[in-house]
Amino acid sequence: MTATEPATGSPAARTAAVRPPLPVKLVISGGFGVGKTTAVGSISEIEPLTTEAAITEVAAGVDDLTHTPRKTTTTVAMDFGCITIDPTLKLYLFGTPGQERFGFMWDDIVEGAIGALVIVDTRRLDDCYAAVDYFEHKGIPFAVAVNAFDGHVEHTLEEVRWALDVSDGVPLVVFDARERGSVRDALLVVLELALARTQG
Amino acid sequence: MADGTPPPDPDGPAPVGPASAVRPFLVTAGRVAAGASGRSMPVETQVVATAEGLDALDRLAFEQHDIVAVCRLPQSIAEIAARLRLHLNVVRVLAEDLRAAGQLTVHVPDSGVVHDASVLRRVIDGLRAIPDARGVLRDSD
Repeated sequence: MTATEPATGSPAARTAAVRPPLPVKLVISGGFGVGKTTAVGSISEIEPLTTEAAITEVAAGVDDLTHTPRKTTTTVAMDFGCITIDPTLKLYLFGTPGQERFGFMWDDIVEGAIGALVIVDTRRLDDCYAAVDYFEHKGIPFAVAVNAFDGHVEHTLEEVRWALDVSDGVPLVVFDARERGSVRDALLVVLELALARTQG
Repeated sequence: MADGTPPPDPDGPAPVGPASAVRPFLVTAGRVAAGASGRSMPVETQVVATAEGLDALDRLAFEQHDIVAVCRLPQSIAEIAARLRLHLNVVRVLAEDLRAAGQLTVHVPDSGVVHDASVLRRVIDGLRAIPDARGVLRDSD
């Protein structure tokens, strides 16, 4: 229709109507039902959004999709929110899908993250091992946040640190996923850790 | 609209419609986002409609139309997927098509930003400014 037909293969140098903010992200991880979405919702400026990402391959043998080998497709829900720091900078908070078997999906979310907060329910410590291992392995700065359900925790932080076998360099905090200020402070611990790494 | 269609998630910011019954990769003509070699578009990648894209809205159909329309304001790949109820990888493929056609700009964040102390300090300062109680900020809504 028009004379300005973009050449295929070359980057189209068009101007956006609005200049987008620089996006940065933190990852909120931990076992299923540990309070990830609650934490995101407590501090996000929007109600947490959910998107479904297609999973192929990995779920094979786990989900029984009418016995179709090698061609298994399923979806995982990923919850996220955001905080506009200023018009030029926006912080996204992405929750990892809760199940360990979706490890590869985490790569998709975690790539380029500033750091991670691993939420722990002290009644089900086992549930967060996968997340702790994952971030240690990836070398991504992370802190462990014990979610104080009903305002109390079942174990001391020393006991949790011992049980999770995380190094002293991993900050451990108690927080309440329902409290905005508490979530903010836990995220700040991760950010300070990431900042310290840039200077180390 | 009033009948038959299940109401969208009341918590979400009004998705355009119910989840598509069409298989996701029919929409992309079988293409998938990025190969094992290439880095796929990060989920926070910002996408904005161009003036050309908005002008062309009437001529765009289906998902392409919806993506350009929702990107009047900058959106991340993840937000587009959530709001339009599309798979993340479908949005990646279509956003790349629309970028190549000049209808969107796609701003893939520089991965080095994670190690940029000045950016981290700005995020820290911005977070610190968030008050404890949710109600305080809502007052200005």
